[in-house]
Amino acid sequence: MTDLVRWAALAPFLALAGAVINGLFGRSLRGNAAGVVASLAVAAGFVLSALAFLGVREVGAVRVDLGDFLVAGDFTLGLGFHLDQLSVLMMLIITGVGLLIHVYSIGYMQGDDGFSRYFAKLNLFVAAMLVLVMADSYPLMFVGWEGVGVCSFLLISFWYEDLANANAGRKAFIVNRVGDVGFLLAMFLTFRAFGTLDVQAVNAAAPGFAYGAPVLTGIGLLFLVAAAGKSAQLPLHTWLPDAMAGPTPVSALIHAATMVTAGVYLIARTGGVFANAPDAAATVVWVAVLTALMAAIVAVGQTDIKKILAWSTISQVGFMVAAVGAGAYWAGIFHVLTHAFFKALLFLGAGSVIHALGGEQDVRKMGGLGRKMRTTGVTALIGTLAIAGVPFLSGYFSKDAILGALLSSGPLGGYGAEALFGLLMVTAGLTAFYMFRWYYLVFAGEPRSKAEFERAHESPAVMTVPLVILAVGSVVIGYLGLPAFLAPNWLQGWLAPVSAEVDLAHLSTSAEWLLLLGSVAVAAIGLGLGYWVYAVGGGALARRFAATPLANASRGAFGFDALYRVLFTGPGEAGAAGIAALDRDVVDRGVSGSAGLIPLLGRLLVRLQSGYVRAYAFAMLLGAAALVLLVALIGVFA
Amino acid sequence: MVAFIVLGALLLAAGVGVVTLRQPVHAALSLVGGILALAAMYVTLEAHFLAAIQVIVYAGAVMVLFLFVIMLLNVGSTPTRSLPWLKPVAWVTGLLAVAGVAAVVFMVQRPLPELEVVQAALRGGNADAIGESLFSDYLLAFHLVGVLLLVGILGAVALVQQAAPETRAVATRTATPDGEGAEPRPVLAGEES
Amino acid sequence: MVPTEYYVALSAVLFALGCIGVLTRRSAIMLFLSVELMLNAANLAIVAFARQWSAAGAQHALGGQTAVFIVLAIAAAEVAVGLGILVAIFRNRVSTDVDLLSEVRA
Repeated sequence: MTDLVRWAALAPFLALAGAVINGLFGRSLRGNAAGVVASLAVAAGFVLSALAFLGVREVGAVRVDLGDFLVAGDFTLGLGFHLDQLSVLMMLIITGVGLLIHVYSIGYMQGDDGFSRYFAKLNLFVAAMLVLVMADSYPLMFVGWEGVGVCSFLLISFWYEDLANANAGRKAFIVNRVGDVGFLLAMFLTFRAFGTLDVQAVNAAAPGFAYGAPVLTGIGLLFLVAAAGKSAQLPLHTWLPDAMAGPTPVSALIHAATMVTAGVYLIARTGGVFANAPDAAATVVWVAVLTALMAAIVAVGQTDIKKILAWSTISQVGFMVAAVGAGAYWAGIFHVLTHAFFKALLFLGAGSVIHALGGEQDVRKMGGLGRKMRTTGVTALIGTLAIAGVPFLSGYFSKDAILGALLSSGPLGGYGAEALFGLLMVTAGLTAFYMFRWYYLVFAGEPRSKAEFERAHESPAVMTVPLVILAVGSVVIGYLGLPAFLAPNWLQGWLAPVSAEVDLAHLSTSAEWLLLLGSVAVAAIGLGLGYWVYAVGGGALARRFAATPLANASRGAFGFDALYRVLFTGPGEAGAAGIAALDRDVVDRGVSGSAGLIPLLGRLLVRLQSGYVRAYAFAMLLGAAALVLLVALIGVFA
Repeated sequence: MVAFIVLGALLLAAGVGVVTLRQPVHAALSLVGGILALAAMYVTLEAHFLAAIQVIVYAGAVMVLFLFVIMLLNVGSTPTRSLPWLKPVAWVTGLLAVAGVAAVVFMVQRPLPELEVVQAALRGGNADAIGESLFSDYLLAFHLVGVLLLVGILGAVALVQQAAPETRAVATRTATPDGEGAEPRPVLAGEES
Repeated sequence: MVPTEYYVALSAVLFALGCIGVLTRRSAIMLFLSVELMLNAANLAIVAFARQWSAAGAQHALGGQTAVFIVLAIAAAEVAVGLGILVAIFRNRVSTDVDLLSEVRA
């Protein structure tokens, strides 16, 4: 059984092999072969993950050693995978949703010049993400962390001929880098405090420190910085909307289902530290909730079909981070799971629309497309309802779990848990609101552009089948985490062995019921409000409020980009220009100037070659005299 | 000592004359005087054979050759300057060099051997003494010098020969009696063929 | 007897004069004369040293004078060839000005 789990260690290498094959030989593969190769690699990974799942169910956590990486005196850094309930679950999400997106991409990227390049990079991403979730030590996790960052950059700027895309990729990478610095500093601090970088060891040793010890708080905050970078939380969220410049399947896989959840995973894995550092944990929750609220407000004002979903992702990831920050790790991971399904579904649906309309992404030019794209429309509706928190769909259960966690979290006690709860409820309502807007503007109502409407057609099966599968998942997957007071909560039990000891009070049954019904009410209000504002009278209310300050702030994303430009990029570019000028004027001039010395020297020396014999004779005489003098002084003949 | 002073003065005068006199003949004759004075000086140094050879070869042959060439080329006095800086610099350098050498020489003073020893060793620097040294210790050098002289002769003759082509052409032109010469005749202005 | 240093000093003066002549004179013939002067100055020094070495034996002493003999021969050969060259040059160019003979210009 243990061996069965150990086989899963192959999964990242299979994906890597797929990347290498497609990268080196992809150009010579005909037709869709590159996509098939990539999908097979991920499918194999999925099978291995499933087997590992069964194995871990039997035997618990399994370590797979890959060898020693660094041996320095007493310190040994070994590379290895640690496969337990959490990592196996993440692996299933990555490979499962990843497989569906790979298949979808075969249809979406058809005819593109960089077809094989795309799949190579996508496989590389899967490999890196797998390494991230399977790593047993922080350095190896960091390798995967950086790897997904690189692949994100590669894929965002996939169509690099357009400078805007390249800039978006660069922006993503640089903002991520800020988070990476946090990760590095956290690792340094961890090593200094704990003497080891093994994840399990750190978590085991954390309770040994004083409760709320500054070093633990410091580590926690630094990991928060890292998570904020990767998961696009305040203030490092600015890269995600720009990242929509990449192909839509990329947005679905990386920026919805997997990479952005890496931060959540990180905090969940470091649960032992956060459980003993309530300051850090509370900071995490506050940052997450504020992010969620802000992103939800911004999503309302966006007009790009993908940007709305991007801001929605930021908001939803805020939910997840809030949950793990509060100590309810299973709730956060639960939302990761459900969000992976419905957000990927929504993105792929958007991709289907974009593909059908030949690249149009402005929702103001869409409308009524549900009539012409049946499968896409229906699945998109399911996804919308799921994310809005409509009961009996997956999103409902996971959001409910998070909201409940906020109220019941012990560590969160003195930090304004009720306020946080309230803010998150409002955000949930906003989620329903803006998602309704998204669905309505694209698929329902009257077409706003005749040309676009005429052009629309349903996508081929290779794209719609994954949509259907994801839609089914969006409905069904929620039943893995039913509220504990009603039915057995499989997920919570599954993740219990890997969750840190956190004081989670049990809410009273009446409170639980109130929460359940409250969530329904909030979702209903959100959807209803959305209908009233956008559907009634062709969106008359929307137009009336379009010029309010809140609407402006929403459209302008609260001006973060402008702020960063003033604070960082402006001075940075000025500094770079200054240094470039320095290099050009001082260094280059100096070098070429010193090169000018040679002709000068030459001109001086050329005068020696006057052609006058007498001058030459004089020179010879001087030389001979000097020689004789030297000899006489030194006394060689003495 | 007196002889040295007198002869030394003569030599200096001759040297200065060679260097400064404008007319080449005057300079050459000045050098002849110097050579003769030098020959006398050799005598004071117990090198009688050398003194004789100096007069015969140098004064008698070399300087005569010089005077021949001077008169043949009709060398005039020196024309305009082109390296004006060289003259003062050369004089200064020369004087400095002399001062330096003199200083060094007078620093290292070795006692002279007795006159008897010198005369015994040099045997008056006579022909047989020199000849004995030349044909035994320095035989190779002697032969090489011979070869050198041969080469010099050949070189001189060859140098002279190079000037000959025009004269040879003139000779063949006037020497074809029957008109059987197949070579094309260079046409000179005013010549009837 | 006059000490060797005097002879050597005199030789140095003559040699320097010869150098000055080589550098100062423009006509090739005059240059040659100065070279001859230099050679003679060197000969004087060698003969003076030859006398000095007579304490070391006849071979060394006479060796000095033999050297001068050979130098004389060389000087004669050199003059012959040199003047021959000079005559050859003079045939092609009107002047014997050394400065004008230069074709290696900067």
